[in-house]
Amino acid sequence: MKGVIFNILEELVIETAGIVAWNSILEKLELKGIYTAGQSYPDEELFALVGEISTSLNKPAPEIVGHFGEYLFHQLNQRYPEFTTQQTDLRAFLKSVHDVIHVEVRKLYESPNLPTITCHEPDEDTLVMEYRSPRQLCILAEGLVRGAAEYYKTPIEMTHPVCTHKGADHCDLVIRFL
Amino acid sequence: MSETEAYKQAWLREKQARLAAEELLEVKARDLYLANQQLMEQNQLLKEQQALMIRNEKLATLGTLSAGVAHEINNPLAFVLSNMDSLKRYTAAYNSLLELNTHWQSQNQLPPALAESLAALIEEQDLEFVAEDIQDLLRDTDEGLIRLRDIVQSLRHFSHGGNSERTLYNLTEGLDSTLKVLQNELKQGINVNCLFEPIPPIHCNPGEMNQVFLNLIMNACQALEQSPEPQIFITTATESGQDREEIVIRIKDNGCGIPQDKLESVFDPFFTTKPVGKGTGMGLSIAYGILNEHGGNIIVNSAEGKGTCFEIRLPVEEPQAD
Ligand code: HEM
Ligand SMILES: Nc1ncnc2c1ncn2[C@@H]1O[C@H](COP(=O)(O)OP(=O)(O)OP(=O)(O)O)[C@@H](O)[C@H]1O
Ligand SMILES: [Mg+2]
Repeated sequence: MKGVIFNILEELVIETAGIVAWNSILEKLELKGIYTAGQSYPDEELFALVGEISTSLNKPAPEIVGHFGEYLFHQLNQRYPEFTTQQTDLRAFLKSVHDVIHVEVRKLYESPNLPTITCHEPDEDTLVMEYRSPRQLCILAEGLVRGAAEYYKTPIEMTHPVCTHKGADHCDLVIRFL
Repeated sequence: MSETEAYKQAWLREKQARLAAEELLEVKARDLYLANQQLMEQNQLLKEQQALMIRNEKLATLGTLSAGVAHEINNPLAFVLSNMDSLKRYTAAYNSLLELNTHWQSQNQLPPALAESLAALIEEQDLEFVAEDIQDLLRDTDEGLIRLRDIVQSLRHFSHGGNSERTLYNLTEGLDSTLKVLQNELKQGINVNCLFEPIPPIHCNPGEMNQVFLNLIMNACQALEQSPEPQIFITTATESGQDREEIVIRIKDNGCGIPQDKLESVFDPFFTTKPVGKGTGMGLSIAYGILNEHGGNIIVNSAEGKGTCFEIRLPVEEPQAD
């Protein structure tokens, strides 16, 4: 995972629990905690951090990851605002994630680990994002989508009926526009 | 841990992260530089290959064109040549008539009136001079026709390397025998240095290959006419080419060289810098045509005033199963 993701996680923890909390999390995991945006760090390090945050805040890990996803969206959008300005509504934005945004990410960061996302629209009010990734960060994706919905001030209802954590080979994020 | 201590540690981390970022930037800059250099090299290579392709295409078009021209000229040339033989015989016949007249006149064997009118006719038509001049005209015409025939033959050679009878032939042998043929040319103080690494024999038309060597070595000799210490270097070797093993033959001289702006043209048919009668400008285009026909190629490197190197590359053949 790229350093930028760690940077944003660090910001979130410091913002909500303070710098002392972040330091002690690093200390407990015996991590140096030095992250540079463009550099890759082991995925396990991110998972370990999420696990430790969940214990110290006494909240389940999925909740942390989901919340982090929302926060991550706003931070990424602040760093790279051109993607949301290019798309006028949430639906168009979500459809552009795989073929536009993550393509740009590939140019910016050397060999990033990105998911495969394919979209289809079974009916007018529904967008299904099929998420595939060996990292199984579908809950993070959910959070990112919620963050985007907030940004576009578009009310949605999201379900996650098909999930790799339940033995499927991919995840379906079913987004209904209300 | 106190708040201050925590910030201090965070600050230290930030500093480390910045250093890492700077290092990353340097690595990227270096990668970019290398990638750029590679791209530029490949671009250059592409340009060279494109130029070569254009040249090949041009020569191929010229080949087709000259084959057509050669064919068209060849037929009338054949009957003109054969008519020339008849003409020579006919003029000889007329000459004998003239001679007979001179004989009779000198012996006063003709009635005076007849003798006078015959003499007047001969005088009026300047037949004495005509008889002499016809010989010169015929000789010149003959020469011209023979040159024409050679050119047509050269053109046909250039356009399709010929009716290629291919046999297994060692090109080193070809070089040796060509040097023997050229002994006379080479006597005039030209030093020939041969460095023949063994090369495998290939299927080719030996006559045509020798023609290539002859043309190249002749050119070298001609380029060496003004050189104080004339030298020719001939080497053979096998080298790995872009995607195949190749026989490489280099024929190098320390002669007058070829100016940069002429290098492009030396393989063009009829391109010559030699005086009329000395060069037809077909030597290199024929060599080019023959080598092309054999799946090979020829390139030239030259520095004006220093010398010239022609490099022949031919594919090494896979050993046949039978
Ligand atoms: C709703 C919109 C988005 C969704 C659903 C989404 C989804 C994801 C997910 C799930 C990952 C984790 C890697 C994985 O699962 O294999 C990821 C990674 C990433 N995404 Fe997105 N993304 C979105 C928008 C963006 C935007 C706007 C950016 C801004 C440039 C961005 C940049 C990145 C980067 C830099 C990574 C990390 C790559 C790495 O660690 O090698 N994404 N994305
Ligand atoms: N070794 C060389 N050194 C310098 N110039 C050369 C050399 N070989 C060829 N050239 C140049 O290339 C021209 C073309 O050569 P090419 O053999 O095709 O024709 P040519 O020698 O002029 O006439 P031909 O070979 O038909 O009698 C020459 O006139 C000469 O200017
Ligand atoms: Mg010549």
